[in-house]
Amino acid sequence: MTAVGAPAGPARWHGAGLGTQLWVLTARVLRAYLLDPRLLVANMLGPLLMLTMFSQMLGSLARAPGFPAGVRYVDFLVPALLITSAMQQAFGSAVGLTLEMRDGIVARLRAMPLWPGSVLLARSLADLVRGGLQLLLILVLAALVFGFRPPGGPAGALAAGALALAVGCCLGWIFVALACWIRNAELVQSVAGLLTFPMIFASNAFVPVGGLPGWLRAVVRVNPATYGIEAARDLVLGVATPGGVAIALAVSAAVGITAAAVAVRGFQRRP
Amino acid sequence: MTAVGDLAIETAGVGRRFGAVHALRDVTLSVPRGTVLGLLGHNGAGKSTLVNILATLCPPTSGTARVAGFDTVRQGRQVRRRIALTGQFAALDERISGRDNLLLVARLLGAGPRAARRHAAERLEMFDLTAAADRVVRTYSGGMRRRLDLAASTLGDPEVLFLDEPTTGLDPAARITTWRIVEHLAREGTTVVLSTQYLEEADRLADTICVLASGRIVATGPPAELKARVGGRVATARLPSAAAVTAVMRALLEQGLGPEYDPGRGVLAVPVAGPRDLANVARVLDVHVADAYELSVTSPTLDDVYLSLTQQPAAPPRAAVR
Repeated sequence: MTAVGAPAGPARWHGAGLGTQLWVLTARVLRAYLLDPRLLVANMLGPLLMLTMFSQMLGSLARAPGFPAGVRYVDFLVPALLITSAMQQAFGSAVGLTLEMRDGIVARLRAMPLWPGSVLLARSLADLVRGGLQLLLILVLAALVFGFRPPGGPAGALAAGALALAVGCCLGWIFVALACWIRNAELVQSVAGLLTFPMIFASNAFVPVGGLPGWLRAVVRVNPATYGIEAARDLVLGVATPGGVAIALAVSAAVGITAAAVAVRGFQRRP
Repeated sequence: MTAVGDLAIETAGVGRRFGAVHALRDVTLSVPRGTVLGLLGHNGAGKSTLVNILATLCPPTSGTARVAGFDTVRQGRQVRRRIALTGQFAALDERISGRDNLLLVARLLGAGPRAARRHAAERLEMFDLTAAADRVVRTYSGGMRRRLDLAASTLGDPEVLFLDEPTTGLDPAARITTWRIVEHLAREGTTVVLSTQYLEEADRLADTICVLASGRIVATGPPAELKARVGGRVATARLPSAAAVTAVMRALLEQGLGPEYDPGRGVLAVPVAGPRDLANVARVLDVHVADAYELSVTSPTLDDVYLSLTQQPAAPPRAAVR
């Protein structure tokens, strides 16, 4: 061993720029998926399972009163799945983050000259990449196997996918914030699961809102996911308005920015 | 008196409360550059809290701390540029390779891709990890992880290196390797703050030991001084009968030793400063005790240090470092 820590070594590094930080940290998360593809496969299976189950179980809903006329259930379902899947990307990330906080890698990163948010933002960016892959898979499989024929055309479906990524990425920060404050993997998993359930089901994702009891309709209205699902569905069905998309983006951005601020605060709070 | 510029670490009345719990109270210490400070204490004594405060991971709730000349709260980024932290658990990404871990740290510190590659390869070589460089860290042994961890910590040539219990859970061989690395870093001029539960470790590595108990510093000083206060090594002999005790005690006192006899257990204890004292004890026993007896030498443990320090209200608990 020679010259470890010798002052006569290279010029001291003063910390990478924000771009490099995000790039390097995002690549770290993505590399882990490449090295253990089981993680990726398991991640992809969830929404495909939901696509299969819901399109088969609830297909007859299209004939129920209150269902938009002339709309097939699979075309109604797919945009909702895009949003809920994109949102759940952060779920796994949050649990991973909790484990890393326990393991010490986060402590090392926090003792380095980095912007504290970059560790979190990098996870979010990695989720975006993974989510994009997943949404593409959902769209292709829905079209090939389940007869998904969006009236809005392929452009409408891809636009819905892009919107879903943006909305999901923003809403996903709720899970990241939970992870930063709870810091216990099991508890994060339970609480995030508890939260996911109403966010997905107390929404317009699988059934038309008109058929719900009044109190549940109120819950659906305050659920931020509802606005994303509505806009994504309009894009798929080819009836989207700029206003609807703007509202969806604004609502999720507001939730995302608030959750991100809470997350960064929690992240910096203590070891 | 040391000039401020020569201090790597300087704290004044640092305390940290978590809710109603005082994890750390009124810690005042100063560590000259290029020295090794050993923080000795049991679990929950406040070692990790102190390390975390100094490494800017959590702010103190009272007092101030300066590391490498900068305030840990107001100038955190300046501090973080000059330190490295190896936490209690190996601070590595288990899912990527050893080389990728080093590349990650080097790139985040600001090295370009090529420089990072070169430095990573260099560190792998130095820390004897080249053969395992491209294996996923999950498959590493405890000792390998610790070496990789230390390798990562040395990448930016930090002025101050924090090691939180670097050998806890390691097998004896890996422990000794870790000690050698720390000794090497210290020789090269890095200031090292090392927390440990092992007196032996602090004794071997530290220039100054700071004993923590219940969040307070109960003693500070060079290892030799601390051990002298504890009482050093003790020769213990189990005597088969009390018949010869009086003669043995007298003979030992004549040798200038301070024997104590516990009649209940039939055990004679004699503090010994070195081999000569031990030889004298052996000779006296040989002459005066006819039957077989056991003779052993015990070193003070952390428990002895604690007992002697926490049950010594007369001794001033907080002496300045140097």
